[in-house]
Amino acid sequence: MQPDGRSREWMCSGHVGCAGCGAAVAMRFFLKAMGEKTILVVPACCWSVIAGPYPQSALKVPVIHAAFETGGATASGVRAALDMRGDTETTVVTWAGDGGTFDIGFQALSGAVERNENFIYVCYDNEAYMNTGIQRSSSTPYGAWTTTTPGRDWKKMRKKNIVEALVAHRIPYAATASIAYPEDLIRKAEKARSMKGSRFLHIFASCPTGWRIPSEMSVKIARMAVQTNIFPLYEVEDGVRYTINYRPKEYLVREYFRLQGRFRHLKEEDLDQIQGMVDEDWRLLLRKAGGGA
Amino acid sequence: MTAEMIPRALIMPRTHETTESNKTGSWRFLRPRYENKTSPCSAACPAGEDIAMIEMLAGRGLFKEAWETILLENPLPGTCGRVCFHPCEGVCNRKDFDASVAVHDVERFLADVAARNDLKPVLEKLPRRPHRVAVVGSGPAGLSAAWFLGLLGYGCDVYEALPEAGGVLRWGIPEYRLPSPVLNVEIARIESGGARILRGRPVTMESLDGLRKDYSAVFLGCGLSRGAPLRISGEVPDAVTDGLVFLRNVRGGQPPPCDGLSAVIGGGNTAVDIARTVVRLGGKAAILYRRRREDMPAFQDEVSMALEEGVELHQLLAPEAIRPLGRRYGLVLKRMRVEGRDRDGRGRVVPTGETTEMEVERVFTATGAEAAQPWHRPPSGRGSGISLSHCVIVSEDGANPLVYGGDPVNETKNVTQAIASGKQAAMALDTFFQEGMEAVEARLAECRVGNGPALSMEIYMGGPRRLRSSHVVQPGEINTDYFRFGARMTQPRLLVEERIDSFDEIDLRVSAGTSIREAERCFNCGLCNQCDNCYVFCPDVAVRRGRDMNDRRIDYDYCKGCGLCAAECPRNAVTLEKEDAP
Repeated sequence: MQPDGRSREWMCSGHVGCAGCGAAVAMRFFLKAMGEKTILVVPACCWSVIAGPYPQSALKVPVIHAAFETGGATASGVRAALDMRGDTETTVVTWAGDGGTFDIGFQALSGAVERNENFIYVCYDNEAYMNTGIQRSSSTPYGAWTTTTPGRDWKKMRKKNIVEALVAHRIPYAATASIAYPEDLIRKAEKARSMKGSRFLHIFASCPTGWRIPSEMSVKIARMAVQTNIFPLYEVEDGVRYTINYRPKEYLVREYFRLQGRFRHLKEEDLDQIQGMVDEDWRLLLRKAGGGA
Repeated sequence: MTAEMIPRALIMPRTHETTESNKTGSWRFLRPRYENKTSPCSAACPAGEDIAMIEMLAGRGLFKEAWETILLENPLPGTCGRVCFHPCEGVCNRKDFDASVAVHDVERFLADVAARNDLKPVLEKLPRRPHRVAVVGSGPAGLSAAWFLGLLGYGCDVYEALPEAGGVLRWGIPEYRLPSPVLNVEIARIESGGARILRGRPVTMESLDGLRKDYSAVFLGCGLSRGAPLRISGEVPDAVTDGLVFLRNVRGGQPPPCDGLSAVIGGGNTAVDIARTVVRLGGKAAILYRRRREDMPAFQDEVSMALEEGVELHQLLAPEAIRPLGRRYGLVLKRMRVEGRDRDGRGRVVPTGETTEMEVERVFTATGAEAAQPWHRPPSGRGSGISLSHCVIVSEDGANPLVYGGDPVNETKNVTQAIASGKQAAMALDTFFQEGMEAVEARLAECRVGNGPALSMEIYMGGPRRLRSSHVVQPGEINTDYFRFGARMTQPRLLVEERIDSFDEIDLRVSAGTSIREAERCFNCGLCNQCDNCYVFCPDVAVRRGRDMNDRRIDYDYCKGCGLCAAECPRNAVTLEKEDAP
C-alpha cells in the first residue's frame, strides 16, 4: 500500500495509449512524484497523442506540445519565463520519447544541459518511433526488427548509451528507471525534483505494440530487462558518483529476447553475441561504479 | 474595431476538458475481475483448512484470528499441528521455489499461543436447534462431530467408555509426540462449545437402541482399537502383545517391563511409536517390516528419529512362526525380496524361500487395527441410507439416523481424516434435519474445497469462503518475481540423549518471530492480500480504491483489458477472461 500523497492521480482515464502501454505507466508514476507544480514540455512522441486531441488533456498539469527537435530549448524558455515571473516552485519537465531524445532532439538537449538549465529531462524509452509506425531509432537495440529494419536487415548497430552521453555533460543528476520498479522510479523522480540544474531520467517503458508482446507482458518484460542487465538501474551524480541501485540476478538475456516478437528472427549465435555485449556493458558500468569487474 | 486595435496577444489553443469522455473500455476484448481462488494446500487438507488465509493472518501477527480460522474447519489444531501427516506441505506451490511452508509448525504455534493465553474463540454459531445428537466415542471423529454439531446449533452428548476422553489421541499416541495437556485444552474447548462428554459410559449394542430412541441421531465414532493378530503359529498371549494395548498401558501409567530386545512387527506410525516407547522404558527395540524403509507408511521423519534413538530397522522380513526358547522366544522370519510393483506404487514383496530366526524377549504387533466390536462397523449391503466419502448414514423407516464415521469407515485412516468424517457427519445430519435425506449429497457437494473431497464448514455456514472459485492455483500461476528466497524454518528439537530417557515432547516451542517469518513465506495462493499491484500498474487508472484502500474495483468504462493487473498479481487473485460478445 502506498503512502497517501502517492494515491493522488495526475493522469486521467480515457487516454488513447495502447492497451498495456508502458509510457502511460511511466507518466503515472512520474507525476505521482512531481505533483501539481509541474509544467510538461512534450515534443513529438507517443505522448503527443496519448495526452489527447484538442480540447482534451489526459493530464492534470499544464502541457506544452512542442516541435520534435525542441524539447531542450522549449523547456529552457519556459524556465526562463517562470523565473521572470518569480515562480521558483514550479518544475519544468521535458517529457520526450527516445526519438526526440536520442536522435532528433539531441542537439537541443545537449545544449540545454551544457548550460545546466534548471529542468528535468525525462526520456521514456520504447526503443523506436512507435507513434509513427515502429521506425528504428538510435535507441533501438541490436537485433531488433522494426519497419525500417525488416526481415534480414534487422538492426545491426548497438543502442546508443544515452545516460553516459548525458553523464559526459557532468550534469547534477542522471539516472535510469523502469516501469517495473515503481518505488525506485518514484524515488528517483522525487530526488530529481529536489535538486537544481539539469537532471536527466531515462525510463524504460515497454511497448506491447512495437515489441510484438502481449499487452499483459509489458511490466514483466521491463523487469526482465533489469534482471538480465540489459537495462541496469543506476544513478550518477555530478557526472562522477555512480550508484547501482539493483544487483540483478543475472538471468540470461536469451529469456528476455525469446519472449518478444521483434527478436524472433535471432539465432542462437546472435543471442550469444548479444549476451557478450550485455556482459561487456555491465562490466564497464561496474568499473565506473567502483564495484570491480 | 479595426485590426490594428486587437492587442498583439499570443493566440494559443488551450485544452479545457479531460480525456474521461473517451470510454476506452469499448476497446476491451479481455476482461479482468477480482476472484479469490483455492490454494492447493487447502484442497489437500482432509479438514479443508483455509491455510492460505491462516498464513496471511499469522504473518500479520493476527494469531487469534488465524487460530479461529482453523477452528472453523478443525477443532484440534494443537493435535494436528503435531501429529497430522500434513499433505498440505506436499502440494505447496512454494515447494519448487525453495521449500514448502512449514504449515504444521505454524498451526502448532497458533494452538499453543491460544492455549498459553487461554484464548476463547469467537465463532459464528447457527441458532439453537431442538434436536440432540448422541456421539459414541470421544476420539478425533467423535470430538469433531460434537464440535461441528455445536457450531450448527445442536446439543451433543458424547459417550466415552474410558475414564478420559480423546480416544486414540490419548491412548494410542505417545506423550512425546502429543502431550496430554495439549489434548486436555482441546477437549475442554470442545466441551465449552456445548458438547457434554460422559466419561466412563460405555455403549453396548443393546444400549445403542436406547440411544437411538432418546436422541434425534447417533454418531458412531468407535475407532479401531484392537490390533490385528499375526495369524502365525506360536502366537500365544505370553509371547505376543497387541501394540495398541501396550501403548494404552504406558499412557495409563502402567508400563509393562521392557528389558531386553523387543520385536515390533509392522511399518506404520504405531510400530515406530511402540519401538520408541520401548527405548524410553529402557529396552531395546527392533522394527521388523516385510517391505523396505521407503515403503513404510510411517512418517519418514519419525523413522529417522527412531533410528537416531537406537531403534533397529530390519527390512524385508515377514514373521512365520514363534517358538519358546527358554524364557525367551525365537521369532522365525521369512526373507522377502522385491519383485515388480504393487498397485499403490510400492515394491511388491515375495518370499525368497529363506528363513532366519531372531531371539527376542517379546513381540509387539502393529500390523493394522480392527474394530473392537462388529457393530462398530457399518452393516454391509445396501440398506436405506447413504454412503458418503467419510461416513455412512443408516436410517431405516421411521428410525432416527445412525451415522458411522471415523476409521471404521474412512479409506485412509488417520487423525485428520477422522476429523473430516466428524465434520461431514455434522453437515449431513444438519441437512437431513432441515431438508431431508435427499438433499444431503447435493448440499455437501456445494461445500467442497476446490473440487476435492475436503469439505468446508465456513462454506456450509455461508461464510465469505463460499465466494471463492474452486480453481486450485497452480505453481505457474504465481508471479514469483514478487517473492524472495527464504529458508524454511527449522523445528528445534530435544537432543537424542534428552529424548531417550523421558516422554517429554520432542519438538520445542518456536518463537513468535520465527512463526511470523514462516507464515510470511506463504504465497497466499489465490487470495488477495491488498498488495495493490493491480492498482499500481494499471496504465489506464482504471482500478479504483475505496477510502480504506481495502476495496478495489475495476472501472470497466476505461479498462482496456490489457491484463497487467492479472499478470502482475503475485498470487492469482485476478482472473482474465474473454469479453462476452456485445
